[in-house]
Amino acid sequence: MTARESILVVEDERQIREFIVSALTGVGFSVSEASTVAHAASLSATHPPSLILLDLGLPDRSGIDFIRDYRAWSATPILVLSARAEERDKVDALDAGADDYLTKPFGIAELRARIRALLRRHPLTQATASATLRFGDHVIDCVNRIVRRNGLPIHLSQIEYRLLAFLAANPGRVLTHRQLLTQVWGSRALESHQYLRVYVGHLRQKIEASPAQPKHILTEIGIGYRFEP
Amino acid sequence: MHSACRYHPSPRTLAGLVLAATAPLLGTLAISPHSAAVDLSNMALMYVLIVVVMAVYFGRFAAILAAMLSALSFAYVFVPPYFSLEITEAQHLLNAVIMLAVALLVSHLTSRLKQHAESAERKSVESTKLYELAQQLAGALSREEVVDYAAMFLSRSLGAQKTRIVYADSGKADDASVSHALVEQCIKRHRFLTAPAADGRKLFYLPLSSAGGSPGALVFEAESSALENSHTVKHVETAASVLAVALERSYFVDRARKTEIEHTAETLRNSILSALSHDFRTPLTALIGMADTLLDARVSADRQQYLLESIRKQALSISEQMTNLLDMAKLTTGPQHLAKAWQAIEEVLGVTIREAGAHWPERPITVQIAADLVPVNIDAVLMERVFWNVLENAAKYSPAGTPIEVAAVRTETATEITIADSGPGIPPRQLEHLFERFARGQTESDIPGCGLGLAIARTIVEAHGGKITAENRPEGGCCFRICLPLGDLPDFDAMEATS
Repeated sequence: MTARESILVVEDERQIREFIVSALTGVGFSVSEASTVAHAASLSATHPPSLILLDLGLPDRSGIDFIRDYRAWSATPILVLSARAEERDKVDALDAGADDYLTKPFGIAELRARIRALLRRHPLTQATASATLRFGDHVIDCVNRIVRRNGLPIHLSQIEYRLLAFLAANPGRVLTHRQLLTQVWGSRALESHQYLRVYVGHLRQKIEASPAQPKHILTEIGIGYRFEP
Repeated sequence: MHSACRYHPSPRTLAGLVLAATAPLLGTLAISPHSAAVDLSNMALMYVLIVVVMAVYFGRFAAILAAMLSALSFAYVFVPPYFSLEITEAQHLLNAVIMLAVALLVSHLTSRLKQHAESAERKSVESTKLYELAQQLAGALSREEVVDYAAMFLSRSLGAQKTRIVYADSGKADDASVSHALVEQCIKRHRFLTAPAADGRKLFYLPLSSAGGSPGALVFEAESSALENSHTVKHVETAASVLAVALERSYFVDRARKTEIEHTAETLRNSILSALSHDFRTPLTALIGMADTLLDARVSADRQQYLLESIRKQALSISEQMTNLLDMAKLTTGPQHLAKAWQAIEEVLGVTIREAGAHWPERPITVQIAADLVPVNIDAVLMERVFWNVLENAAKYSPAGTPIEVAAVRTETATEITIADSGPGIPPRQLEHLFERFARGQTESDIPGCGLGLAIARTIVEAHGGKITAENRPEGGCCFRICLPLGDLPDFDAMEATS
């Protein structure tokens, strides 16, 4: 860690905000706080944070609106905090560009783990984009569009390759059905979640040691998929 | 089938008349060269034969025409004096008259027989249609289904279109073309009424009166001649009375369902209140007590650690019970919308097992997934709740460290998921109440929960048309079995080919 990483906590419940702040400052993060979307927007512009913790139910505007506006100019990771009753909002937030979510109630250990995972993906200095992605025993050569396991190429169809490359390029991030469909098939297949499931099934057969208990392509039921390298 | 109720002569009748006019003449021409060799009475029989054939195939008018012409030809050509209508001998006159009489009688009888046969056939077709309608309606439980079947029936019988049911008390009709006054009129007078519609067609109003629900009328558009025939009217009226009975039944089914929903909602409210007052108050009291103990500075460091962990555990358990209560409330109030999709069951099970692994790291969980599983049509989010609740139940009621076995197989009609533990099993008398709301395995125990998990599981599984059961295993422990119907799988290969 080169500089102290700063986290912006946007949460209107004072008790929850206080416990999050103390949990994060305790491990060396510098933390700023906001309790409204308006305050969060100005803070994020004046003191750009390395990560934003965002509660969806805020008093002035919806957290999803904030994500949409913020994504227009910044790629800083956003971790959404949601209550269980807001299932639909969670998907909307991820569609709008949030990176991950945490359902209340959550423990401090889990919160810190998620934050670390997101910061690892987005180091302070923008990573130089790499044409080679690695996970497990696999290497994806994005230039020649070849996937190898232990040096041996695996045969993947066009769609399977695109799906895998997109997943692997976003490790740890929850990708919604909608995001995957738009990215891999283009906008025309938006409603066909079935395609996605079928192809994820095929992909798991090809890259997972045990397709029924996958280690890399994890299902987030009702939301989408998360890729773990 | 073309309607037989039109009064214009059909092409067949016309052809018959033409044939009837030519056949006696042709017959006469054929026989006249041999007139010397053939007996006069045999010739007469030939004409009778022609008349009978006409009667059988073309009906009465053709037969009468043929009989007249036959009698004339016979008298003119074969009866001496030849080529004159004069008949000199009384015997020959008798011959011609008897021939005419026989021909007319036979033609009358055959054409009557034919009419009977035709009407019997028509009736049998109509009653088959009515029977089919009654059979379809027997399975119809909603008003929409009844209307669908009625529309199907009328379009086949009369070529009717835009069939709908208008209720007398509905205030105003859904579409402007239907006159409410006519609906009321036709119900009051117990007979069908018509109103002109576009393209020379007519709008028919058929009364549907029944004891229950509100009276209404079946309204449809058809050719203006559709109900001119009294047979057809009777046929359609019979169908209308069958429809009225089906509608009445659908009305009562609907009412019974609503009453039941209200009743369950009421029971649920009461149960939730009692759960909140008891099951939540107990752990909350414990929480307050433990926090107070911590505030007391004299607690040892070890003890502090223990109390803090307990507080965390208690709070998590309250949160879980809250989730269950909310789920149950959501599932029982209002009709549940299932976001169904074809899903690999092992994918959903995999998520549950992954979470269980994180939750109870010391628990060995074995998984056996059959190779021949097919996708099932489920709401994955809800089904995951089912698996989690059953798995959590197994973990709660069996000793820590004992294995939990999860398996999925395919039977002839269902995908079957079993979750088995090696705990003490379930006392037989509790087995049947296991899935009822607020049923607890051990009523006074330190195992947290308020007895909703399995009730939620059952509600969800049954909403999917499946079944959940529990049994004690001979080798010890209990086994939960979730059966999900296979359903008609869409063609995935075709889907891929088009992508």
